Amino acid sequence: MKFCVCIKQVPDVQASVQTGRMVLNAYDASAVEQALVINENGTDEIDLILIGPASATETIRKALAMGASNATHIVMENVADLDSSAIAHLLAESLKGSNYDAILTGKQSQDSDSGLAGGMLAELLGIPYATNAVGMEATADGLLVTRQGDTGQEMLVLKAPCLVTCSNDMNNPRIPSLKGIMGAKRTTINTVQAGPVGTPKTKVEKTFPPAGRAPGLKMEGEPEELVAQLITKLQQEAGAI
Amino acid sequence: MKCILVVLSIQDGKIKRSSLEALTRAATIGEATSSPVHAVIMHSSAASFAAEAGSYGADTVFCLSDRIFDAHVNTPVLAGLTTVINQVDPKLIVAASTESIKDIAGALAIRIDAATLPDVASFDMVDGTVTCERPVMAAKMMAKTTSAHSRVLVTLRSGSYEAKASSGAGKMVEVPFEWDTNLLSATLKEIISTTGNTVDLSEAKVVVAAGRGVKDASGKALVDELASITGAAIGASRAVVETGLFPATAQIGQTGKVVSPDLYFAIGISGAIQHVAGMSNSRVIVAINKDADAPIFDVATYGLVGDCFKILPLLNDALRKALA
Repeated sequence: MKFCVCIKQVPDVQASVQTGRMVLNAYDASAVEQALVINENGTDEIDLILIGPASATETIRKALAMGASNATHIVMENVADLDSSAIAHLLAESLKGSNYDAILTGKQSQDSDSGLAGGMLAELLGIPYATNAVGMEATADGLLVTRQGDTGQEMLVLKAPCLVTCSNDMNNPRIPSLKGIMGAKRTTINTVQAGPVGTPKTKVEKTFPPAGRAPGLKMEGEPEELVAQLITKLQQEAGAI
Repeated sequence: MKCILVVLSIQDGKIKRSSLEALTRAATIGEATSSPVHAVIMHSSAASFAAEAGSYGADTVFCLSDRIFDAHVNTPVLAGLTTVINQVDPKLIVAASTESIKDIAGALAIRIDAATLPDVASFDMVDGTVTCERPVMAAKMMAKTTSAHSRVLVTLRSGSYEAKASSGAGKMVEVPFEWDTNLLSATLKEIISTTGNTVDLSEAKVVVAAGRGVKDASGKALVDELASITGAAIGASRAVVETGLFPATAQIGQTGKVVSPDLYFAIGISGAIQHVAGMSNSRVIVAINKDADAPIFDVATYGLVGDCFKILPLLNDALRKALA
């Protein structure tokens, strides 16, 4: 299948200390991985597209090293003010008229955790879509998608061209091989300047650490005592049982 | 004043608690801003839920009745919502942040030209500007985000506000909805199945959640027993979903489900911030962990330092007696 995977460079939120290190969004890595798995025995190529500063080339090379073939870099130095809608419009502008069977994205990005751009892009392109996919297989004319719903997994068949947003529960993205890394260095990235974006509809005024819960009671001792104390507390203090 | 429209989700034959929380919050804002508050229900028997929606503060309840809505497919839901939104022209649209709503939020925002504040922990509307606080950076930070756009869509995390019934009685309006299944088959060939855990974690009053400390099938049996005694839904941390001990449906946290039960048991869960983001709205949190320094003890109402394999058999016995 001809895939285009939309990827994003984000701060490394998994690190315990924020160092400013930028990485490939983990959900997008799962999207790249699944495209590679589906095309394992075929000849179809996987393209990438990223919006970000010139320095984000590093993230594109990481995804190329996993096995993607081509990449488009929409260069925009200040991406901090871009909201999901602006991102979706830039991607739609670039993907309009393309002939991909499927466009994949992560289900959200680790920095804003919005989870909107995929659905927005599908709507702008007028193609069917599914979100929060935990499984995906190719069918004769589209994709069989398993998505995580509220009470269970829902399976649906999307006709190509379609768009799917991927969960990190879908797979474990491969670590690029040395050969992959060397190959990615030689790949020519198609670089274009971002077109104008309108005024963002939303604005982040400030960020701050979340307020924690009030400290509770930590009990140590023999298991019998702990259980007796807990039952008393749940009954008499918390009214929880 | 333009109105507020609340999208209500139906599950297991009732309006979801998280939807009623969203409606209660919208009613509070509606009162403060003198805005009418309306609700929309899309379900095979939508009208049967209208009275309850009215009692939680909806002035008018728009009902779209069609079996297709029960299948959780995004195309008809988008069509139905767009119909009602075009009819009532709301300034603010509010919905509980469920998987079904997350599935349509982005596309809906484009279709109705709305700014979107997704997955918020709190929100307000003052002088036409909508403000919210929402977790970002895998829940390590909160972002105060605003929008002065003419139309704003807000999705609300469960447990952020308490659902309160009032004495109100809403007016019910049936909205005609014709769904052409041929339209659907052009894009979506079939819905193969809906399977899995039938207890919706996000609605449960008691949740028993397991982490790495639960280790194996014998630990899982103890967790299952605790859940059966307390009538709880079973949750899990990412670690034990990855090992396959618990299904992905059970995952609680920033990338999984957000739960807000009355009572939450964290069994052998260390309390990584991504997990805590999914359960910190619980009223009472009981944590059992061997490691006295585990971060879960920073959020637990009652923390028991010890081996869950030793504590759980005793706790299960004691709870069985206490609840008998």
